[in-house]
Amino acid sequence: METLSALGSGFAVAVLPINLALIFGGCFVGTLIGALPGLGPVNGVAILIPLTFAFGLDATSSMILLSAVYYGCMYGGRISAILLNIPGDEPAIMTTLDGYPMAKKGQAADALAISGVASFIGATLATIGLTLFAPMLAKAAIYFGPADYFALYVMAFATIGGITGTDPRKTLLAALLGLMLGTVGLDPSTGVARYTFGSFNLYDGFDPIVALVGLFAISEILFFCEERSHGGGLVPPGRVFPRLSRLREGLGASLRGSLIGFVAGILPGAGASLGAVMSYSFEKRISDKGTFGTGDPRGVAAPEAGNNAASGGALIPMLTLGVPGSGTTAVMLAMLISLNIQPGPLLFTRSPDLVWGLVAALYLANFVLLILNLPLIGLFTRVLGLPAWGLMPLVVAISYLGVYAITHAAFDLMVMVGFGILGFVLRKLDFSLVPVVLGLLLGMDMENNLRRALSISGGDFTILLQSPIALAIYALTAAFLGLSLWLSRRKIVPDPA
Amino acid sequence: MTDRLAGLFFVLLATAYVWLSAGYVAGFGDPLGPAIFPRVVGIPAVILGLTLLIWPRHNAVWAGPAALARQAVAVGLLVFYALMLEPLGFVPTSFVAILGLALLMGAPTLAGVLTAALAAPGLYLLFDRAMGLPLPLVGTWFG
Repeated sequence: METLSALGSGFAVAVLPINLALIFGGCFVGTLIGALPGLGPVNGVAILIPLTFAFGLDATSSMILLSAVYYGCMYGGRISAILLNIPGDEPAIMTTLDGYPMAKKGQAADALAISGVASFIGATLATIGLTLFAPMLAKAAIYFGPADYFALYVMAFATIGGITGTDPRKTLLAALLGLMLGTVGLDPSTGVARYTFGSFNLYDGFDPIVALVGLFAISEILFFCEERSHGGGLVPPGRVFPRLSRLREGLGASLRGSLIGFVAGILPGAGASLGAVMSYSFEKRISDKGTFGTGDPRGVAAPEAGNNAASGGALIPMLTLGVPGSGTTAVMLAMLISLNIQPGPLLFTRSPDLVWGLVAALYLANFVLLILNLPLIGLFTRVLGLPAWGLMPLVVAISYLGVYAITHAAFDLMVMVGFGILGFVLRKLDFSLVPVVLGLLLGMDMENNLRRALSISGGDFTILLQSPIALAIYALTAAFLGLSLWLSRRKIVPDPA
Repeated sequence: MTDRLAGLFFVLLATAYVWLSAGYVAGFGDPLGPAIFPRVVGIPAVILGLTLLIWPRHNAVWAGPAALARQAVAVGLLVFYALMLEPLGFVPTSFVAILGLALLMGAPTLAGVLTAALAAPGLYLLFDRAMGLPLPLVGTWFG
């Protein structure tokens, strides 16, 4: 009941004209970005964050815009997967398996419609889950002390990205690199300048937003210079309206996929890719009669429902614990922290308008996306014909003007380029970037919690292991690490960007 | 091989990082001071870097010479864009950067020039004039 009335006031926030406009605009732009091969939700959100800042939107509106873009990208990722056999982002890889064969058989419109409806079901069920479970988790998290938070951060770093199949040692190293970069600047509790080498430009440390745009958008440019052409060929989508009977075929798979994806989304570090992989494998196990991989509608519906449900689920730990469940939510966390809003259990009591406005906006965004994605699909597919040489330079220009508009410093543009090169090299070496971002973002908070815990104990490190909550979190972390080691040996999951 | 180099890099970086932390002391207020966290972070990084150095698993595949040259030119253009944005102003620098990157990514010359000629002033008008983000139109070199 309490939740329902809170959600009601959230809808009052979400239907403000400015927020409605942002939902529409964000869904549209998000679908476009998602449809473009090579640009996924992380890049999309990273490029837009500086702009959101520069426009001076308030925190609630900024989050609504970014979430609409995030959901839109997840919907859009399937378009290039189905028509080009190129996944727009990592979770869409599973959609290519049956989506592209369907398109080649002349059923592109059906595949797009089935995946659109599956995306809607997945995302909507996940948003309902978010509404129900997030407040519960927020209430439980109030009992966390500094040592428990430290354990939580350790878990976030140890698990994020690890499950997706890169060497877990590299994931940890990437997180530690991010933490190292995060300590550059004045120490907040004592004012000692660390690792600045006398440069006043570094006294504030590295701006996480500048680092993000560099790591994701600029490194992408360097990848484009490497492989200038895209493989595959565009399959014309054909008829716009699919047959309703085809839509029904994917319904059961969508429901099962949503549930699996949602759970995968909540797990820290797993995110949408695992949601898509698990939903597809589960569906294949229960309903494959030799048709999977050759254009089975259930093979399109399951991973799409899974990845969209995971995106909703990933918002739960981000909002309630301040620990993101996926790469894109890590980027959104950067936005919140930069707006001086501390995500975590108190967010629900301190900024109910933000939380519930955001949740209500997600419900609306799903309807907007369903509407955009069924009749307007022809419009988005036309984007796939645009050449990369026209788009990527614009991505660069928009990144520059966005960063310059918030920092007004050429120094920060150089920092952005530096992070771009770093991001490129790390990705080449099979290090994922999300842990670097997390380290940079959460480092200060992790350090504060560690120092607070240690000052309570007078410098005795065993305090970190004395709380049952912390011990439980460490046990979970160990289990996750074991699982990711096992998965990386089996190499079943595609490498992340 | 690249894993070994990466491991070596992390060992050196993290060692220097921990070593430098010894200089960070605060006189009062904080029992452990600003050096404790860099050690908590740096020491595991040294150990993990060592394991990567000893037991590598992955070997990165770098692009051929032509693609590497393109990447080097791209970095040059990106640095040029960053350094010249203020002295030259947004429109001329964006024109050069967009044109350069488009050609680098395989645009036909005329199409590249047209894209840059439309996009550079277009972005300025859209973001500075229509949406109110202050961008430098005329650089400091021109007064």
